[in-house]
Parts: sequence; C-alpha cells; structure tokens
Amino acid sequence: MSAQPATTAASSETIVSIEGLRKSFGEVEVLRGVDLRVGKGEAVVIVGSSGSGKSTCLRCINRLEEPTAGTIRVGGQEVTGPKVDLNLLRRRIGMVFQGIHLYPHKTALGNVTLALRKVVGLGKDEAEHKARHHLEVVGLAHKADSYPAELSGGQQQRVGIARAMALEPQVMLFDEPTSALDPELVGEVLNVMVRTKEMGMTMIVVTHEMKFARDVADRVVFMDHGAILAEGTPQEILINPQHQRIRDFVMRSHS
Amino acid sequence: MDQIVRYFFDFQLMSAYWPDILRGFLITVQMSILTVVIGIPLGLVLAVLRLYGIRPLNWLIIFYIDFFRSIPQLVLIVLAYFALPYFGLVLEPFTATVLALAIVLSAFAEEIFWAGINAVSKGQWEAGRSTGLSFTKTLAYIILPQVVRISIPPLTNRAIGISKGTTLGSVVAVPELLNVTSSIQSNVANPTALTVGALLFLLLFLPFVRFTRWLEHAYSHPRS
Repeated sequence: MSAQPATTAASSETIVSIEGLRKSFGEVEVLRGVDLRVGKGEAVVIVGSSGSGKSTCLRCINRLEEPTAGTIRVGGQEVTGPKVDLNLLRRRIGMVFQGIHLYPHKTALGNVTLALRKVVGLGKDEAEHKARHHLEVVGLAHKADSYPAELSGGQQQRVGIARAMALEPQVMLFDEPTSALDPELVGEVLNVMVRTKEMGMTMIVVTHEMKFARDVADRVVFMDHGAILAEGTPQEILINPQHQRIRDFVMRSHS
Repeated sequence: MDQIVRYFFDFQLMSAYWPDILRGFLITVQMSILTVVIGIPLGLVLAVLRLYGIRPLNWLIIFYIDFFRSIPQLVLIVLAYFALPYFGLVLEPFTATVLALAIVLSAFAEEIFWAGINAVSKGQWEAGRSTGLSFTKTLAYIILPQVVRISIPPLTNRAIGISKGTTLGSVVAVPELLNVTSSIQSNVANPTALTVGALLFLLLFLPFVRFTRWLEHAYSHPRS
C-alpha cells in the first residue's frame, strides 16, 4: 500500500508527523505504534471500528491525551517535548469535537472571540471583526448573537468550526464532528468541512461518513486495534480494499 | 383582638424602645453582610484551590470543610470567644461571631462551588484548552461563569440560613437584634419588641433574596 499523498492538493511540506505513537490507559494499550505524516493542505480521513484508537490518536496530537510513547511534531515543532508551551501550540491546532462543546453562556460570537481576545490578545473590535468573518464562512453571520441553545446541532457545530478556524491554525482536527447530529443536519457540517479543505486547510478527520471520506479525502487511513492497518487513496482503501478486515468494515458501513 | 394588639403591637412600647431595637438591627445587618462577604468568596477560593489538586493541601481543605460543616455554630462561636484567648487571640464578641459564621459558610459554599465545578462537563475544559487557553483562563472565562449561575440558589439558602445564626451572637453578648428585643421582652413582659425584631429580619432578608434572584437572572443564558 502507498504511504504517499495521493493528490496534487498536498505539497511536500509536512505539517503533522507522528512516529511510534503509543498510548495506554492503565493496562489497556489503545495505540500500539502509529506512524503518520500529513502534508500541508492535505485532508486525511481516519476510519475504523469504534475502539480502534482513532479518536485517541487525534487527541494525542494536541495532547488532550498524553501519549505514553512516541514523537509528534506539528509544523516542525515537537508536541511531545518536555519544555513545549502547550498553550501556544494548541493555538495552532484547531479542534472540533463530537460533543461540540460550545460555551453555553456565550453567544456564537462570544464563543469565537474568547480565544482571540484571551489567547491571541486582540482588542474587542478586532476580535469581533475577525469572528464575524469566520461565522460568515460557515454561513452563520446572522446567528452571531444567538446562544448555543438557540441553534440547531448543525449550526452549533458550524460555530465550533468557526471557533477553531478563527485562530488560523496550521491543522484542523475533526473528532467525529457529525456523529452526534441528527441525520438531516450532517450535510451542512460536511459542506463547511469541504469548504475548509478548499481554503487549503490541512485536516485530519475521524469520521464514520464514508461518502465524505471517498469524496473529500486525499488519503484514507484505516485503523484497527490501535495501529494503522492500511493507508492510501479513497479508491485503494474504501473502494477496492485489499484487506478482508477492511472489506468487512466497508460492507458494514454501507448497510 | 385587643389582646393581640396589646401583646404584639404595643405602639407606645415600640416607640420607646425603637432606638435600642434599631441599634440591634444595624449590628445584625453588619454581621450578616460580613458573614456573606467573607464566607462565600472564601468558599470559592477553597474550591478553586482544591481544583488544582495539590495533595496535602487538598487533605487540609477537605478536613476543613468536613469539620466546619459538622460542628454546631453555637459551639464554634463559644470556642472563638472563650478558647482563642488561650492561644493569645482575644476577639470582640462581634468579631468572634462573624468569624465563626463566615468560616462555617465558607465550608458549605466550598462544597456548593465544588459540586458546581463538577457539574460542568469535561468537554467545556477540553474546548477551552484546545484553543490555547490556560487552565486558569479556562476556569475563569468558561467554567466559573457557569458554576456561579448554578450555585446561586443553593448559596442563597445557605447564606440566609447561616446569617440567621447571627442571633447566636447573643451567647457571647453581642447586642444584636434578637438579643436586644428578647431582653426588652423580659424587662417589660411584653413581646412587642420581638414582633418588631421579626419584621426587621424580614426587611433584611427579603431584599437579599430578591437580589439573588436578580443575580441568577443576570447570569442566566438560554438553555435547551
């Protein structure tokens, strides 16, 4: 199988590199040596059964989970180093959660401006200007003053994307961004993600949306029992899978 | 009916003793406000310190809150006034009472804030931290505003309950409202002063309750 980025969208510059990543929760080894490189502008989709370690792998990249062993670099800087400034680093790694996790006491605008003001240090006007721009990109400029509870799940997740994108990260991590949504709301979120990709953002996406993986991914990574079983183009992995394990998975996903 | 008026609403008596009653009332107001203003912020500080999870400090905090929630306030006031002098700390009756009540309130407030902090989902922390906010900034801007809102009703209950404990100050001869009014009652064999005292307690706590409702509203946000 090929480890090369499959499309021209991806340049040779590596944004994320993961080497020998291991993670144990107590006795349970969830990641058993993962190696992955993601080029600038590349969209990598990680698929696999639940419990295969996809989310944990993603969460190690910004150290929401503490890796047990291995090296992770983002933009050439070591994430796993002992003296790394985690807050500075996380600013450059956007994350979108399955549970969305908007701040319920803040409006859509307030959700997006918070880090711009308190992390980047922008003034009120500048932060709001920037936040409105990013809400517009996700099609929610008109909802800037709405509270999360007043938005649909799909709208909430789009605010979640705007919140992360506003910091102009080097890479966006999507952790099952549509899994908690009603089926009819999934499309609007996926559309925003396609748009994010078209804007040249480097993306790592954990998802069960096979259509998204087939249509949007530059590369698909199949994880199984805490390791990468195969990676390649969507064609290679999802349409003509070589492994029986993956064939079974793809079959189940279609049903 | 005449009897009731004579016993509980003797206006002559009221006007005669009004200056004394008012003085007692003002002392009660001062003690209540000080208890709340010291006790609740101290509880918040303890809850936040506990959150940082420094092992020996946490044991101390947990011992503190368990101890002061268990011990009767009356005993604590008596200890503060009569026992502390043996350790070289002589307190005015007023100060001893406020100190004891504020400490008890802080212990209860800590538990309320702690429960509130735990009620905010872990995802809120992760969302904040993932944008580069530090632990402290995430706490200040994301977690605590949500905690304060859910903590206001139980804190109000506790604050009122413990502020009423200012009446216990009479055991160390604080001339607070109940002390004054019940003395008058004994002296003149008429409970009118107590009636006035009760009305003044209402006058003190009703605005306080209204204020906390307003506070609750100020911190509210639409919820699904």
